[in-house]
Amino acid sequence: MKLDKDKLGELYGKVGVGNQTTLGIMGRNRDISVGEIFMIYSDRDGNERVFFFRVLGLENYLRQVDDMSRIAGTLMVEGDAYLSGIDRNMLLSLGGRMLGYAEKDEKGEWTFKSPRRLPDHLASVYRPVPGTSDEFVREMLACQTDGEVHIGDLQVGEKTLDVPVKIPIMYLPMHVGIFGSTGAGKSNLMMVLIKSIIDTNLDAIRNPNADKPRLSAFCIDPHDEFAKGVDKYGIQSIVKDMSSTTRTDVIGDYYYLTTHKSATTRDIRAYTREIRILYSEIQPRDLYSIREYTAEMSSFIDSQYHSAGENWIDSILNMAEDSIPGSISVQTLRAVKRRLSFLERSPIFIDSGTSILDDIFFAMETGRILVVNTSLMSDMEQFLLTTIVTRTLSDMRRALKSSGNLGDFVTQGQKRLPPGFFNRVKQKARAFYGKDGIADTSEVRDPRKLPVIQVTVEEAPTILNPVLMRGQSVFKDISRQGRKFNIGLLVVSQQVSVLDNVILSQMNTEINLRLGNEREIRACIENASVNINGFENEFRVMSRGEAIVTASYRELPLPVRIPLFDTVYEKDRHRYKDKKSKKDEKHIL
Amino acid sequence: MLDKILTEKFRRTLKIVFTDIKNQQDRRDEQEFAKDEVRIKERLLDSFTPYSPDIILENDYRIAAIDGSGTDSLMTLDDIRVHLLSTSSIVVDTNTQSENLFSPIDRETLETELGEQPHLDIHWHSGVRGDARSKLAGTLANIYPLKDIASLTLPFFKDFKPGEISSFSDLTDTEYEKFIPRLREMESLISREQHLTNPTVHDEIRKVSEYAAARNILTSDICPKYLLIDGALSVFMHFVRRYPSMPSGFMLRDLCALARQKDVILCAVSKNHTIPFAHRIAGMAREVFGDNAKWFCHLPSKEDPEGGLHIYEDRTYIPPMLAVPYLYSFSRDNRPSRIDFDRIWWLQNIFVPTDPKATRANEKALFSELEFMSRDARWYGYPVSLALAHVSCKLSHEDLRLAKDVCMDVRNEMGLDKRKAQDLRADYDL
Repeated sequence: MKLDKDKLGELYGKVGVGNQTTLGIMGRNRDISVGEIFMIYSDRDGNERVFFFRVLGLENYLRQVDDMSRIAGTLMVEGDAYLSGIDRNMLLSLGGRMLGYAEKDEKGEWTFKSPRRLPDHLASVYRPVPGTSDEFVREMLACQTDGEVHIGDLQVGEKTLDVPVKIPIMYLPMHVGIFGSTGAGKSNLMMVLIKSIIDTNLDAIRNPNADKPRLSAFCIDPHDEFAKGVDKYGIQSIVKDMSSTTRTDVIGDYYYLTTHKSATTRDIRAYTREIRILYSEIQPRDLYSIREYTAEMSSFIDSQYHSAGENWIDSILNMAEDSIPGSISVQTLRAVKRRLSFLERSPIFIDSGTSILDDIFFAMETGRILVVNTSLMSDMEQFLLTTIVTRTLSDMRRALKSSGNLGDFVTQGQKRLPPGFFNRVKQKARAFYGKDGIADTSEVRDPRKLPVIQVTVEEAPTILNPVLMRGQSVFKDISRQGRKFNIGLLVVSQQVSVLDNVILSQMNTEINLRLGNEREIRACIENASVNINGFENEFRVMSRGEAIVTASYRELPLPVRIPLFDTVYEKDRHRYKDKKSKKDEKHIL
Repeated sequence: MLDKILTEKFRRTLKIVFTDIKNQQDRRDEQEFAKDEVRIKERLLDSFTPYSPDIILENDYRIAAIDGSGTDSLMTLDDIRVHLLSTSSIVVDTNTQSENLFSPIDRETLETELGEQPHLDIHWHSGVRGDARSKLAGTLANIYPLKDIASLTLPFFKDFKPGEISSFSDLTDTEYEKFIPRLREMESLISREQHLTNPTVHDEIRKVSEYAAARNILTSDICPKYLLIDGALSVFMHFVRRYPSMPSGFMLRDLCALARQKDVILCAVSKNHTIPFAHRIAGMAREVFGDNAKWFCHLPSKEDPEGGLHIYEDRTYIPPMLAVPYLYSFSRDNRPSRIDFDRIWWLQNIFVPTDPKATRANEKALFSELEFMSRDARWYGYPVSLALAHVSCKLSHEDLRLAKDVCMDVRNEMGLDKRKAQDLRADYDL
């Protein structure tokens, strides 16, 4: 069956030279930009294929002119010179990367392949036209763009096609990286992602029989802008739009965690919880994950944890210098105390009171989002909070994974988790994890059937650097084993080059926004899950909100325009109203 | 070879040659030029005011141009050579009113009027079987659109013997009477039978292909104001019979007559002008009009007032018979070129007897137009239509290589014996 080539877009040019990696295209003198995607129709040997080509360089080409400089010089020097009928000879020579090709398999379904073939001689090149090519491109690239979590639309140069680019939920536990310099659009992307997670959960709730997965996200908001929004709307706008039933199902009673509830605006305050973590919920490895400790210090801490258990922090902080165990020096005690002193000053780490960790656990196991305002926290507080949450959630699921029934789970949980916390949450955990009831004998559920949990690691280089990752970092385990427990990291960073190789090698999806300098561009290209060599020029000219999405499970590096949160919200806000709820009619007397 | 070329001995040999040229040729030319110098500077050389770049002509007009290319060895089959000729016609429009200067008319219109462009012709003959003349005659008759040979030859005699011969029957009772039978067949119009070497045959066919394309333009509805061809308007004569030695000579005069009839200015532009002392004329022009000046210089014939110039007194075809050549330069960066006009047209339209000023004014108007059509930045100083025709007809090495491949393919398709199409020297890697 022959393809309807008109659906590909506007006939632009012909393939000139090249190989299966790079191509040279001779095309019309149009306003083309670096980054544009073209489609090449090929029918070599009767095999219909549509190759995708990405422009990485442009050059003006005057047909029949060998020396452009001489012509330019003549036009300059001889003021009366013209170029007769030159319009038709003015061409653009495009150089770029072959991205791969789409072809139909035996079942008649579109598949996408890495570049391993070449388009036919002088094959026709088509320029996608928004409004004409969208449907066909969507169909051809379905295997490259489909998923549940929408991040943006396929960008073809400076325009976008109506081809949504999504990340499949099943790949989120294999970790996602968001890389971009200041002003590249990371905050907007995070808001779009949160909205998309809400939409995914809403869809799952509204279609209970479709067995759609749910998604939880622990989203660090370092500038406190997600809830209120950057411009007009924020996550709170979505929450406000929901009917109370929908809100209960999707958001629950709270979604906003902050250090000081009283400082929160009134509308958000109703959905706010204060972040408080008990000392007893902190484990030594949480601290080792965020800061370097000498062998003496960690040995001392470990011994105190062994002897004092949950009270190890109090035990160290209150330890008198004359009562230290013989093998520990006074200097070590002082150094450890100094390092723990930030806990004493912190409003969120408390010796006694009510912890938020239970609520975080409940929210994450029920497919919800939490926006965590860390704008008033110190870096150490933020990192420790992220670490405790990540470790707690992963230890809970690890206990589950190691158990055959709920009785085993409780035993495993007690071994791995702080007893105070575990005892508080175990009843609810039974409800989440029991396959058929909460009895000890009840078989446990496979963690992969539970909601996918996405934990944001902001300013990632501080804790995901090679030095900390060499030690007993919580994140080392998560990066390697997260997929077993359906827990993934959402690593947000301005730099790629300083991240540890373990985390980079385990990361299967990268959303690469505009980067700050050549070193980061190089690092980003080297660490991408698919080969994007040659994209250097494009990184240099990327605008705010533009991204190149690479994923190990996709052959095609996808150029994506991330829409403004306000735009997608306005487009979708009608979806948050409960379909069944009717607007109250006014009674007219 | 380089070890010979880069030696002092080679340089000494060259010095001897150049000294010889200087002693014999340049000295003689110098003496002759001295006699012409004042006349050239004061009465034959002049500049003109170029059109403003933003001029809007009251009546835009078309300019047509023809150029050809080819090879005399598309394929060598033992004693047989197959020739390939490509001829291209280009028509541009001044288009000042739409500010799209000298844009070519669209291909569809052009091909509707003139047929496929560029046009390809094939010819073959054997160099040793004595069929060169008959085969050449057959090809020329086939290519040239005017098939009646009497009508083809008559324009020459009408121009050459004005007032004496106006119809074919007028040839009776003249010196041409005994040649009348020869003037009725294409084959017998070829008088240089003994010199029909491969290059001569090729040149003749190429010239005739170009003339045929020019004739097609003149008889079409394209109606250009100018028709430019590449080369000179030279007619090579049979010295005994006193008429053109080859059919192309008659065809050229046929073209000139038809152009006059259709009110088209026919001219031939030649980069290889063969005008002795042209560089001195150019130097003189720079001296008189400045480095940036655009200038022309009439090269008069014996029939013109004051007669011909001494510098080409002994050059048989300068000026060409029945033509008026000019040396000109429209660009400071290039050497001067030559342009020939039909003398009959020139006498009717440019030359004003007894009024040199009016003649000069006509010449200036003519060269202003020629200069205006020669400002394309790609070929500044050369008529754009002719340059485009050249680009269009050019057979590159790659084109020829492919054409040779196609030759072999076709022979295979026809079940003919396999022959290599490359030059024979390629067999020995020479």
